[in-house]
Amino acid sequence: MPKIKFLLADGAELTVEAQNGRTLMETALENSVPGIIAECNGSAACATCHVVLPEEIMSALGPISEHENDMLDFAEASRESGSRLSCQIKVSDAMDNVSVRVPAA
Amino acid sequence: MSEAVKVVDDVAFEDLLANPYPVFKRVRDLGPVVKVEAANIMMVTRFDDVMAIERDPETFSSVNPQSLLNTVIGPNLMRKDGEDHARERAAIDPSLRPGVVKRCWADPMRAICDDVISQIEHKGEAELFEELAAPIAARALADILGFDGVDWRTMALWSQSLIDGSGNYSHNPEIARKAKEAASGVESAVDRMLSHHRDDPNPSMLSSMLQADPAQTVEQIYANIKVAIGGGLNETRDSILTLILGLLQNPDQFARVLAEPSLWGQAFEEAVRWISPIGMYPRRLTRDTEISGTLVRKGEQVGLCVGAANHDDRRFNDPEKFDLFREKKSHLAFGAGSHFCAGTWVSRALVSQIAVPMVFERLRNLRLRDPRLVRIRGWVFRGPTHMPVVWDA
Repeated sequence: MPKIKFLLADGAELTVEAQNGRTLMETALENSVPGIIAECNGSAACATCHVVLPEEIMSALGPISEHENDMLDFAEASRESGSRLSCQIKVSDAMDNVSVRVPAA
Repeated sequence: MSEAVKVVDDVAFEDLLANPYPVFKRVRDLGPVVKVEAANIMMVTRFDDVMAIERDPETFSSVNPQSLLNTVIGPNLMRKDGEDHARERAAIDPSLRPGVVKRCWADPMRAICDDVISQIEHKGEAELFEELAAPIAARALADILGFDGVDWRTMALWSQSLIDGSGNYSHNPEIARKAKEAASGVESAVDRMLSHHRDDPNPSMLSSMLQADPAQTVEQIYANIKVAIGGGLNETRDSILTLILGLLQNPDQFARVLAEPSLWGQAFEEAVRWISPIGMYPRRLTRDTEISGTLVRKGEQVGLCVGAANHDDRRFNDPEKFDLFREKKSHLAFGAGSHFCAGTWVSRALVSQIAVPMVFERLRNLRLRDPRLVRIRGWVFRGPTHMPVVWDA
């Protein structure tokens, strides 16, 4: 099971065990990660599960959809180069030990 | 040991229509699921319960083929779940994404607001429901759907008739007839526009549905356009009025918004939390389950009272107050889960970035004619229905 480290907006860190195949958003909710609200529960409609990922993992994740790309411009925290909606990212072994930052809204 | 559903039988339906919030509070404090006889529904009113239900669509289903909504407008995305819902939702989303709203709809919406305000600006007085909010909401919706040449009053009539028909539990024949008339009016309007939108792809919802993969059938297009008309007009109209009302009643907050325009978005979110345009929607249980310890049986329907959840004092301090500076927390005015309001981003842009700022900019020293004349009504749908104002013309 990959381990994922959430870097929280207040500077705290939270490392959780994730299950392959679950989304990063589901993993965050199941572990009560602050700042991941996910109002639409994974439909990429609300932009409230915004995370910032390290550059090195981005290419392993595949292309971003037009819909998610549009939404990210309107997330509450400003978009960064590693920004993604965590509901659109499936956990895999490639994400083991990755640091996922939850940006300050 | 699970608890049985408690019952409230001494509330009149008129109490709910006049002001549901005292009823919501009583029901919320009584239990997680309470049958309110006057409304003939089991209400779920606590924020955390509604949120948990919306994260479990397999237990709490939107599918309900026998619902009046399906009878009146045909099988539609609001009463579907899973892949069926996702496909139909994906067919309309390209028209409603925030970036599309900004690039394609902001200018036409600004032109509509400018035109509507220009018609009343010189008068120094108006009734804002009829002369401002309803025409702006209806005209913006017509543009986004891709309906050319449908006037706002027809849009408003269709919308109200479809809503009334979907709630016609007493089977009133006149209401049923009007709903049917509205449904055929919408279908004719769609028929008139189909070839135009097929030949000339554009950001409108009709065009998006025609370009979708898999292609939407005409029946799907009819039904989901009717959903958009029944469910996309009054919320915008009502939240325009609610935001204006909240600011006029709270001059200190209003002054800060004027001084700091980046607060408009926050003011809008507080307005729709304070008086949520949609107060309740149903879900049907696919199995026996407990909601915070109260047992509800398979096949039964619960009403998710988001209006009540948005006033849950377990989550919001002094929930009955309009306070745009309250501790920041998410609300449920746009619902939650996969049915999260598809028009959220249109309403945010139209109401908080365009319409209401323009109203206050153009109608100088805007004030209520008399606070006692303001009428607010409804519980399933709620908003100001009468709001006379004056300004310095």
